[in-house]
Amino acid sequence: MRIDQLPLRSPVAGLRRRGLSMVEVLAQSVSALAPSAAVVAVPPFVMAQAGAATLPVLVGGTALVVLVGWCLTAFARRMAAVGGVYSYTAKGLGPGAALLAGWALVVGYAGIAVSALVGSVAYLVSFTGLDPPGPAVALVAVSVGLLATLTTVRGIRLSARVALALEVVSVGVVVAVLLVLLAAHDGGSGTGAAVVDGPVSAGGVATGLVLAVAAFMGFESAATLGVEARRPLVAVPRAVFWTPVVTGLLFVAAGVAQVVLLRAAPVEVLTGDVPIAQLADADGLGVLPRLLDAGIALSFFACVTGSINALARVLFSMSREGVLPAPLGRTHPRFATPAVALAWASPLLVVVPAVALASGVRARDVLAGSLTVSALGYVLAYVLAAAAMPVFLHRIGELTRPTLVAGTLAAALSAVVLVVAVAGASWSGSGAMVVVFVVAWLPGPVLWLVLRRRSPETLARVGVYDQATAGSLLPGQGVRR
Amino acid sequence: MTGVDRGVTGRQPQAVRSALAVLQEVARAGAGVTAKEVADALGLPPATTYRLLNLLVGEEYLVRLPDLHGFALGAKVAGLAGVIAPARVPTAARRVLADLRGRMRAGVHLALVAGPVARVVDVDPDLPLADPSLVETHLHASAVGHLVLAEADDWRAVVHHPDRLLALTRETPSRGEQVDACLARVRAQGWAGQSGQLHEGVGCLAVPVRGTAGQLVAALAVSSARGAAPVEHLDLARSTAEQLGPLLD
Repeated sequence: MRIDQLPLRSPVAGLRRRGLSMVEVLAQSVSALAPSAAVVAVPPFVMAQAGAATLPVLVGGTALVVLVGWCLTAFARRMAAVGGVYSYTAKGLGPGAALLAGWALVVGYAGIAVSALVGSVAYLVSFTGLDPPGPAVALVAVSVGLLATLTTVRGIRLSARVALALEVVSVGVVVAVLLVLLAAHDGGSGTGAAVVDGPVSAGGVATGLVLAVAAFMGFESAATLGVEARRPLVAVPRAVFWTPVVTGLLFVAAGVAQVVLLRAAPVEVLTGDVPIAQLADADGLGVLPRLLDAGIALSFFACVTGSINALARVLFSMSREGVLPAPLGRTHPRFATPAVALAWASPLLVVVPAVALASGVRARDVLAGSLTVSALGYVLAYVLAAAAMPVFLHRIGELTRPTLVAGTLAAALSAVVLVVAVAGASWSGSGAMVVVFVVAWLPGPVLWLVLRRRSPETLARVGVYDQATAGSLLPGQGVRR
Repeated sequence: MTGVDRGVTGRQPQAVRSALAVLQEVARAGAGVTAKEVADALGLPPATTYRLLNLLVGEEYLVRLPDLHGFALGAKVAGLAGVIAPARVPTAARRVLADLRGRMRAGVHLALVAGPVARVVDVDPDLPLADPSLVETHLHASAVGHLVLAEADDWRAVVHHPDRLLALTRETPSRGEQVDACLARVRAQGWAGQSGQLHEGVGCLAVPVRGTAGQLVAALAVSSARGAAPVEHLDLARSTAEQLGPLLD
């Protein structure tokens, strides 16, 4: 590469460059993860699977995600990408693996957007205390989806700020509710103890681990803000690493609190839809349960915007490479957001759950189903990206022993989680979701096979990022011979 | 910067020395040098070298080339040096400027640009700038400066104290959103014009002079004491800038 051959324009020009502060980049990862929803919803599920091993499983899941996050920072420090994990994988394992990981990521972001939309609607309905019929719920889902789409088209800055504010409020509410419940706790023991201190089986621990990892999905989405972040090579790795670390602490702490609380509770509460809200109701905490509903509804709404933001940027990236049609790579003239990709993706994400809800499917089933589909997508993308890391560093001559060990370990462990997730989903009767995932993910491998035959030069472009341009170099410097 | 000032402690002095050594080694070896070569040349442990390189790339003093394993000095380094060397203007370019001065009744000036730095190198002898150093130090208040800032990814990283911009006159855009609006206009129209932002009653327009790769190498400024930006000279200034491009690249 000669330095006088550098392009004048970045291949991903058109997005608003270098506008987002560190906090706003962090907000993207935090909102896509939806910590308050995750820390309330996930630990009871883990308990039901892992029994007495719940806490070690929560800690183990957190550790694995932090390890994957650390692997991703090796890329984030070296390239400012718009396609996030998709672009990272391309630089290590090449275009084929990148398309497999990229489309898995697309399915992941889409799935989480659907489940967060449904979650937001369910908690909103619970907040109002009404029991509306299916079509009315579907209408609420459409309105919420429309609002989320408008927020994301208007600009990542607004949507990130709104999301972070919502998230801070809802985490505050969750912490307050847990503290109040703990303070009122009398140390007694209920029928829940049979589950909380229940027998430990290898299958249960593995499934619990999958659920714990799934709680963190979306933490890597700041990696799609490479162009829009100020000082992206500093801000993005920080967000990708510290989001799972801090959320993990909250997650484990909330896990400890829920182990104590649910041990004393009736077993029906533990296996119910919203154990903590039920506990709060039973304790007569007055307005707190309603606040908890509102907080979690807000957290889910923030998660919808975060996931749509990330999804649209991956599609934008694929379009700029020529993998997807060029119009998807157009940006909004005024807001400089990938508006066309947003306009194509969002209706689909709203229509699917709206139709399901209108036809009378329970919100909880839609949520669980889309979450399963999304988890398979994310974990597959994590496996490939973690495996790509040491290969990438070796290729650019910067491999060290710790990075080799971390990349191999993260890829192997994530692969185990993926296998367990597929097996677990099949056993537990949600095998249909594995089929849905495979069907949704098929475009990835198909695109790869078609492009390999028809247009190898398009494949060669996969992995575009905000590379150095003629203007970013000191003019007149010497060149290494 | 926020946080408690703990001074430079522990192993930090060595880290600062190593970082500067890495920067110097990239400058010495030339664009395209790899991380391994830097580590070998300096005798530093590879892991340390990679970390320092990533740090310097993060701060944009260095740039990772598109192959991802070569490094080059970033445009920001020009701001460190504070000068553009050599700041000579070729005779052919001076002739073009003299020709233009003969054809318009306004001051014609040339500023060379490298990254975030502008240096006024040729001032109209008959209608001189009141203070060339003001143009160089207050980029938010001059047409030449607006061209430089519009070229940067983030103008806040270029100017000194982006939150406390000096209002030289009542017209000076001294608030962030004013500068944003001004730069958006410059990017849209491809030239910069201001009236009374640097000195009361003095207007100026500046057109970019671009090298063969399209990068901004200089700014051609036309100043007028009649208050408004002398837009009647825009076409002539633009065609002259096109002639100057190959001479200054």
